[in-house]
Amino acid sequence: MTSTTTKDLNVAVIVKLEPDFSEGNVSYNADGTLNRAETKSILGPHSAIASNAAFYAKVKYGARVAVGTMGPPIAESALQQAQLLCDADELHLYSDRLFAGADTLATAEVLKAGVSKVEGDGKVDIVFSGHRASDGETGQTGPQTAWKLGYTFLGHVIDYNVDLQSRFVRAKRLISLQGFYDILEEVEAPLPVFISIDPSYKAFFNTVSQRLAFEKYQKEARSRAENYKQFLKVLNTQQLGIDPKLVGLPGSPTIVYKVERIPKAKASRKSEVIDGANRDQLTRVAANMYEVLGGMVIK
Amino acid sequence: MEHYDVAIIGGGSAGLAALKQLSNLNKQAILIEAGKKAGSKNISGGILYSKKPKHGKTFNVEDVYPEFLQDTPVERRITQYMLHATSRDKVFTMNLTAAHEYQANFGYSVLLNKLNGWFAKQASESAERQGGGIVSGVHVRSLNWQNEKTVIETDEIEPFEAKAVIAADGVNSELAEMTGARAKFTPEQLYQGVKVIVKLPEEIIEQRFGIGPDEGAAHLFAGDVTLNHIGGGFLYTNLDTLSVGAVYHYDSLMERPSEPYTLVNALIKNPLVAEFIKDQVAVKEEIDKNLPKEEQLRTRFAVSKLIKTWNELRDSYHSRAARKKLIESGKYKSEEEIRARLDYVQNELATKYYTKFVTDYVELEYGAKLVPDGKRCAMKKPYYKNILFVGDAAGRGIFIGPRIEGLNVGIDDGVRAANAVARAIDRNNFSTQFMGESYSQSIEESPYTRDMKEIDKDYLKIFLDAAKDVPKDIIGQRYGMVFRLMSSGTLRGLAVGFANILGYDKLLPLVESEDTYVQVPIELAEKTGRQVQATYEPTIPTIAQRIAQLKYDDDRVSHIKVLNPKSEFMKKMVTLCPTLCYSMEGGDVTLQHEACIECGSCAKETEWRHPRGEKGVIYQYG
Repeated sequence: MTSTTTKDLNVAVIVKLEPDFSEGNVSYNADGTLNRAETKSILGPHSAIASNAAFYAKVKYGARVAVGTMGPPIAESALQQAQLLCDADELHLYSDRLFAGADTLATAEVLKAGVSKVEGDGKVDIVFSGHRASDGETGQTGPQTAWKLGYTFLGHVIDYNVDLQSRFVRAKRLISLQGFYDILEEVEAPLPVFISIDPSYKAFFNTVSQRLAFEKYQKEARSRAENYKQFLKVLNTQQLGIDPKLVGLPGSPTIVYKVERIPKAKASRKSEVIDGANRDQLTRVAANMYEVLGGMVIK
Repeated sequence: MEHYDVAIIGGGSAGLAALKQLSNLNKQAILIEAGKKAGSKNISGGILYSKKPKHGKTFNVEDVYPEFLQDTPVERRITQYMLHATSRDKVFTMNLTAAHEYQANFGYSVLLNKLNGWFAKQASESAERQGGGIVSGVHVRSLNWQNEKTVIETDEIEPFEAKAVIAADGVNSELAEMTGARAKFTPEQLYQGVKVIVKLPEEIIEQRFGIGPDEGAAHLFAGDVTLNHIGGGFLYTNLDTLSVGAVYHYDSLMERPSEPYTLVNALIKNPLVAEFIKDQVAVKEEIDKNLPKEEQLRTRFAVSKLIKTWNELRDSYHSRAARKKLIESGKYKSEEEIRARLDYVQNELATKYYTKFVTDYVELEYGAKLVPDGKRCAMKKPYYKNILFVGDAAGRGIFIGPRIEGLNVGIDDGVRAANAVARAIDRNNFSTQFMGESYSQSIEESPYTRDMKEIDKDYLKIFLDAAKDVPKDIIGQRYGMVFRLMSSGTLRGLAVGFANILGYDKLLPLVESEDTYVQVPIELAEKTGRQVQATYEPTIPTIAQRIAQLKYDDDRVSHIKVLNPKSEFMKKMVTLCPTLCYSMEGGDVTLQHEACIECGSCAKETEWRHPRGEKGVIYQYG
């Protein structure tokens, strides 16, 4: 196995295998809960964005990329899908029966241990994670892993660049204030850092040579993902060197007492079906719009 | 600024052939493509030919891509070529297979997304070995010249320099427009083509068209399906889809505008076509609104999933390769077991969810394109400074009656341009006199160029032989003398020689007329045609449904600007835009660009650009 990348920058991504909630793929039980056996699993959408962010480091800085996930053997497929996105040089599956029933804190413990097992003594400069998982929605695993690693945590990142000389990262964070308006905050931090990627992140490459590198690595990613097992390491509690008391159910302080359906808020709007071919109805709509707009001319 | 020897603008079949050929000659080249990936903006009829002309040489697809014949990224090898004259439920059929095979190694039906995707893969692999490659999602905005080098500015990335440029940016070439290398094409020089992809399982296609696994059929249509326009319809068999479309002289449409989709609809309504495309279709039953919300949701998801399974399983069951794969994977033990599972799913849908299974047809994709009529608009000198124009951008294609060739011409052009650029690199001379002229000369030598200028009497003979069953009394009144003249070898030679001296442009109005495309076929069908009956009425999607099915990456800003909202031309666009992007408001024509499929039908009187990188329509079939 030959590595095409330099060791100037080492990055890792933590990802999650999640149910595919798209229509035609998802199944529900009669009581409205998810039928996991019948529902296809895919790399979570936020994990995919985190993988894209790691790929940016590979294209722009020639970074070495490792991807890790905690889960049963089937979670391998998430690693394969992530490798396709970021041309990973190394894949980690943290799998052990002892991990079952883990909450975010216990998961973070495993992921922290995993990062330290990345080739090259675990000296990872940037760890990427998604914003949250589509099945858990807590958004806690990332920050907790950062805390356990002792890395500077940067959340909601939509763009970042690394100065390889000074070994600083400069990142843009998209901050929403009570949902009213967005602020773009630019921050700088010394490596290593933990970056949680905002859903609106999009990698951008602005020279021909970067674009060519992008194509080259993407192609490499496709051929690697076809043989992903060559890159895969499966690690259990012992191999990760974790205290069993800190993982799985025993390591999870969270108690889920009961899950209730969120009651649907009563709609305050009245709706009426308008027939697009009915001239009278359309005239009435136009008249109403005119009234609402206070006589403003619609152009 | 980054420097490259060659920049090819546009990743269609012609541009990709240029990239592959340059790489084959060990030259570094980059290709800039506006679409998200090569092939996503391309659409064709389409058949890809490989030719072996008696005089001269064409550069064929398999010459440029040695792996082509092994990988065959195509649909079906066309082994039947039929022309139908239609009038209501009457059809008169002529077998033109001999004309299709004339001087051809092969002709394959193709879908451009797949084909150009494969070309791009091959070309970029070769190009990367020379330090070049394909840069997609980048739209070229302008060109400037500094010290004989071209500075290329784009909407997406930093400017870069190139010593030579190959313009492969299609029929609506922006490079041609911004350099003034040629005028925008006029409706007289163009065809407008509209096509739908119809889903049909692999072995059902073979049974219906009477073809083997490695064979394909092409059917052309003239007569009342044209709705009195000059042009015709076509239906090509792909592996597990059909390409059904209508291609018309754009000036003929301008004269009496019809919405382009109505021309495809007219074709679909023809009983012969309707029978060709029919299939078994699952129709969902309305969900009972009285059920609890959760139950409604669960049912909706369950039905969607079951129908998806039924479709996938049915397609696999009717496909030799897919069936084999299913059995090899261990999922099923035998064909019978797949059939049993398919029946079970169908039964489940019918009894549990009241899904109906009816005879109808399924459309997968709607698309449109302008096609340059080479004999009327091929550039005489296809270059400007250090830019060489190829394929559609140079207005090159061969359209003579049932002879329809564009892809192979583009590939031939691409190779010739690449050869000229490679020589220029070797001599370090990118001047118009050296590079431009040597390309122009090579284009002159291309057998395709001859076909755009002259009538080939041997091809004419084959066509006339095919038409020998046409009752003489029908064409007697009109073309009797011509036919008699053409039946004799010597006289035909003389007549064609005389016609070629006279020039194509003098003859075309006689050959390409409402009479030949509409009246004669209708008369033929009415008097001698066989009766064909459709067993069902196709449910044709509305244009809104067709647009809704297309995939777009919407751009906020429009890539088209209307220059004169009151012009007669623009008023006609309200009808002639294939996706109805134009409407009248007050006395003005206004544009809503979101549904635009970038055909360029409106380009003549608008400021027309391709959308920015990755934006706009993304064809899945093409």
